[in-house]
Amino acid sequence: MNKSLAVAAVALATVAFAGAAQARDQIRIVGSSTVYPFTTAVAEQFGKAGKFKTPVVESTGTGGGFKLFCAGVGPDHPDLTNASRAIKKSEFETCAKNGVADVVEMKVGYDGIVLAASKKAKHMDITRQQMFLALAKDVPQGGKLVPNPYTMWNQIDPKLPAAKIEVLGPPPTSGTRDAFVELVMEAAAETFPELKELKKSDEKAFKKAYSSVREDGGYVEAGENDNLIVQKLDANPNAFGIFGYSFLDQNSDKLQGSMVDGVAPTFDNIAASKYPVSRPLFVYAKKAHVGQIPGIKEYLAEYTSEKAWGKTGYLADKGLIPMPDSERKEWAAKINGLEALKM
Amino acid sequence: MQLLILMVVLLALTTFGFRLGRGRAIAASGNNPRLLHSLPRYHGYYVALWSGLPALFLIAAWLMLEPSLLHSAVMSALPADLQGLSEERLALVYNEVRNVARYGHVPSTDAVGQAAAGYIGVRDTVFLSVAALALALAVAGLAFARKRIEVELRARNRVESVVKVFLVLASLAAIFTTIGIVLSLLFESLRFFQAVSIFEFLFGTQWSPQMAIRSDQVGSSGAFGAIPLFTGTLLISGIAMLVAVPLGLLSAIYMSEYAAPKFRSVVKPLLEILAGIPTVVYGFFAALTVAPFFREIGASMGLSVASESALAAGMVMGIMIIPFVSSLSDDVITAVPNSLREGSYGLGATKSETIKQVVLPAALPGIVGGVLLAVSRAIGETMIVVMAAGLAANLTANPLEAVTTVTTQIVTLLVGDQEFDSPKTLAAFALGLVLFTVTLALNVVALSIVNKYREKYD
Amino acid sequence: MAENSSLVRSTPAAMAARLKRRYAAETRFRLAGITAIALALGFLATLIFTIFSNGLTAFVQTSVKVEVAFDPEVLGIGNDRSPDALAGANYGQVIKESLYKQFPTVEGRSERRELVGLVSSGADITLRKMLAANPALIGTTQSVWLIAGDDIDMAMKGHISRTPGADGNRLTDRQLGWIGDLERQGAIRKGFNTTLFTTGDSREPELAGLWGAVVGSFFSLSITLIVCFPLGVATAVYLEEFAPKNKWTDIIEVNINNLAAVPSVVFGLLGLAIFLNFFGMPRSAPLVGGLVLALISLPTIIIAGRAALKAVPPSIREAALGLGASKQQMVTDHVLPLAMPGILTGTILGMAHALGETAPLLMIGMVAFIVDIPASPMDPAAVLPVQVYLWADSPERAFVERTSAAIMVLLFFLGMMNLAAILLRKKFERRW
Repeated sequence: MNKSLAVAAVALATVAFAGAAQARDQIRIVGSSTVYPFTTAVAEQFGKAGKFKTPVVESTGTGGGFKLFCAGVGPDHPDLTNASRAIKKSEFETCAKNGVADVVEMKVGYDGIVLAASKKAKHMDITRQQMFLALAKDVPQGGKLVPNPYTMWNQIDPKLPAAKIEVLGPPPTSGTRDAFVELVMEAAAETFPELKELKKSDEKAFKKAYSSVREDGGYVEAGENDNLIVQKLDANPNAFGIFGYSFLDQNSDKLQGSMVDGVAPTFDNIAASKYPVSRPLFVYAKKAHVGQIPGIKEYLAEYTSEKAWGKTGYLADKGLIPMPDSERKEWAAKINGLEALKM
Repeated sequence: MQLLILMVVLLALTTFGFRLGRGRAIAASGNNPRLLHSLPRYHGYYVALWSGLPALFLIAAWLMLEPSLLHSAVMSALPADLQGLSEERLALVYNEVRNVARYGHVPSTDAVGQAAAGYIGVRDTVFLSVAALALALAVAGLAFARKRIEVELRARNRVESVVKVFLVLASLAAIFTTIGIVLSLLFESLRFFQAVSIFEFLFGTQWSPQMAIRSDQVGSSGAFGAIPLFTGTLLISGIAMLVAVPLGLLSAIYMSEYAAPKFRSVVKPLLEILAGIPTVVYGFFAALTVAPFFREIGASMGLSVASESALAAGMVMGIMIIPFVSSLSDDVITAVPNSLREGSYGLGATKSETIKQVVLPAALPGIVGGVLLAVSRAIGETMIVVMAAGLAANLTANPLEAVTTVTTQIVTLLVGDQEFDSPKTLAAFALGLVLFTVTLALNVVALSIVNKYREKYD
Repeated sequence: MAENSSLVRSTPAAMAARLKRRYAAETRFRLAGITAIALALGFLATLIFTIFSNGLTAFVQTSVKVEVAFDPEVLGIGNDRSPDALAGANYGQVIKESLYKQFPTVEGRSERRELVGLVSSGADITLRKMLAANPALIGTTQSVWLIAGDDIDMAMKGHISRTPGADGNRLTDRQLGWIGDLERQGAIRKGFNTTLFTTGDSREPELAGLWGAVVGSFFSLSITLIVCFPLGVATAVYLEEFAPKNKWTDIIEVNINNLAAVPSVVFGLLGLAIFLNFFGMPRSAPLVGGLVLALISLPTIIIAGRAALKAVPPSIREAALGLGASKQQMVTDHVLPLAMPGILTGTILGMAHALGETAPLLMIGMVAFIVDIPASPMDPAAVLPVQVYLWADSPERAFVERTSAAIMVLLFFLGMMNLAAILLRKKFERRW
């Protein structure tokens, strides 16, 4: 009898587990790794208040996040997505096409993109133009575009360190990459006469020229894990990393940010928009899910409360640069009223 | 919970059936069980199986059908304005209905509240009827089986044939696993090879798998040449073998030929601990301690050692594999017949001469087989390289530089990514297919060598 | 050597010299063996020492005594005393105001930020719990021990330097001064770290706990055991005792041996393609993790089971059959009970291996940031080794300590399982 008892117990247990095709009763968030630390901090606070389950946050990159977010409405699709840039028109249209009609946009605050290195390395003062020369796939030389010949920083400018160019940065799924391309590469490209010519004659080729990043080892795509980049920089003093200011802020004992166009990446410089490479951060919510997945409205309310995103809120402690008071108030009203984005 | 109660009741019924069957059989034999064809307990099993199995099948079928049944019941009862929603919106509504019904969330609209009430109603009614039916089946089976009990009933044969069916089915599980692996790898890889030619994948020397994800974006070229990954894997596994083979083999020789039994009984389990430590721990150790250590040594000697050098990852992997090599070679060395050793001693050879010139040559095929198994292990090892090896696909043979491996790339490509329509994610499956094929081939060769060797001395 | 050996052999002195050489070679060879073993054990010792020396301090936790004024205005609740209002009150601000009051000389944004950094950003939970239990505290001032920030904790434990002006120090000289002040006042102490064993994951090292991962591991392993023990034993019994010797069973055998050598990450790909994509099971769930681990452990258990069955001498079988038992009776009543200790030992070892497995679980999404303790195998969860991996990847210095502590917990469980296996083997080991 022992055996049949055991068999029955096993069957009982398997059957009891197999039957539970789960209903989803917690918020799912995907998207940018730059916004990830802020969203998780809010998620933890939200979960600890005890009324709702803690949202599950996965870091998939801004682009990857939009792709998942816009794939459709329903429990299989995420409710919110983090973005380190505003939604693109093409993405908004994909959303609409898949029935994700009403999207609530939430501007979270500002963040700078920094070029950082280990503290063990020499401090670097670099211009955007020099960054372009170090990272672009093809650079203008003698009136035409040639494959990037630079392998050492001091080949670009003798004042830069005599080290191999090795920059760890985000892949194309990342919003940081998009913002970096826009704020550094595009801006720098326009300062080269050759590329300026190109812009006039062939907009598309120009775009290709400034957004193609070298693939010969000078730029290493390090995935969607900014923490990983921090670790690798700490281990390798010759490498530089590209990521959000908040990661620099959290790791100020290990890393230093390079000055860009003569401005150091500090909280105050970014807040005062002196630092040239800064951008706003966003979270997008699906209006259709509000009320049907429990807690979305409350989560947004927690996010937009003064204790979270305010000047002395816990997000500022994490390195987020808050919006000015009036802007915060304006956005909070919009978000809590669930005003849908129009494009 | 209700299900649990039902199962417990069912269990009680089958237990009762067992006792009933056994008692009935003894009674039928006139309290002389020796007259029965089968032992009384087999009659008991017979009745228990008849009462338990059909009911279990019914419950299993219900569990499989329940979700879709409930879904259609709730959906058809929804008010017309909700019915008109798109399928995805309906799924959302249904999700909320279930949340309300299961966890008592507050419904956002009355319609949802009603639907939830309906959901609970349908669920409970269906459950009750299934429970009633299952119990009826159990009782009917019990009665039926009980009736058939007689002195001549071949209860044992029947019970045994049921058990046999279970055994055969169980032994197929392993086959299904293999089929599952092969199918899933092949299927996704084929999709990948529709986008990237197999030739480019196997022989290309540039690996840069990121692709643009929007039409208005320029990504990298999306090169899928896996040669740098293969060389990186070989480099790291090679270093691992350079550490593991000498250390493993020498410790095996010492332990099987020299060590006193007491020493052996202490040291062998200690060495095996190395194999029992989870690989994620080795990865942490490699990244936190070994890699910086090598970098500093390199710096003091004026060498530039990458922080994710193949050397660090390979060495830690080698440490992990030591017990693997040593226990396999230990087996092989002990299997060499003593007559060979004694013959050698008789000719005046010292112990080490005997080992080097007689035992090792005799054991060589087995050792080679063991080393091949260890190589296949090293190639497939994931966590150490994920944590301690690099991400950049460098085509280099310099152990001081960072290389990446097949397994690292599989993990990097898939973690955090949830879509399966881009070559980037599918590439992971193609890499998996290569990994599977190579380790399988190594394993088949190694096992056949070892088996042949065993036959030689058995 | 062959030509002149006959000449050399004749002189006893040369013979002695050669013998000496041969004996020296013998000693060298022995030494090489010993060295190999010593090296391997040395690595093991270094590994264990590194983990323990890094991890031991994680079992204590620094906390700071703060005079907290529960001012309803600062809490932002006015006259509302409902549980909802209390749950949503601004405890962070209360802590900040209390700290500003305690250190009145501190002014300016960055200085105040440094001051607030003394206390963990999760310390408000302590206050929330206090008020939830006793709303009468509103309006009073209490001295409360609050969890210290991770950097303070690291400094108190000596993991980061406390010399002012040290290079690359995360703590500023001012903060170091405050720590000194607090120490003199007896307002900073170290106590047992219960957080580590009672909470789930967190982005803050001082709030991060292992309990979620332990529960996740427990669910996963339960599923693994439920699935693979019956299947494994049944397969072993079938192949060893019943299967006819033919092509088909040969295929099954070869297949099982090969399956045992397939890299675990490939099983992860299988889980992703079949369980998640094809059957649509939930991501990050211990149910799926357990199933994947079951497939990985199945070959191990089958092989161990067969070895245990093989070890039962044929005489037992012959005796049973000779007394008229059927083949199945022989197996279930005689062979299996004798083989059971061996099978169980193999199973426990297989489970221990499954407990340490990480790579396949990364494939099925068990790396998400999950705070809540899973309540069922369908809830998203992490498992212990994945938690180690996640923490190892976190940049905060305090996570190094916690990762090591997590490894110690993992090794503790593994040690217990292995110990159980060894005891089982010792107790029931039989020599025929």
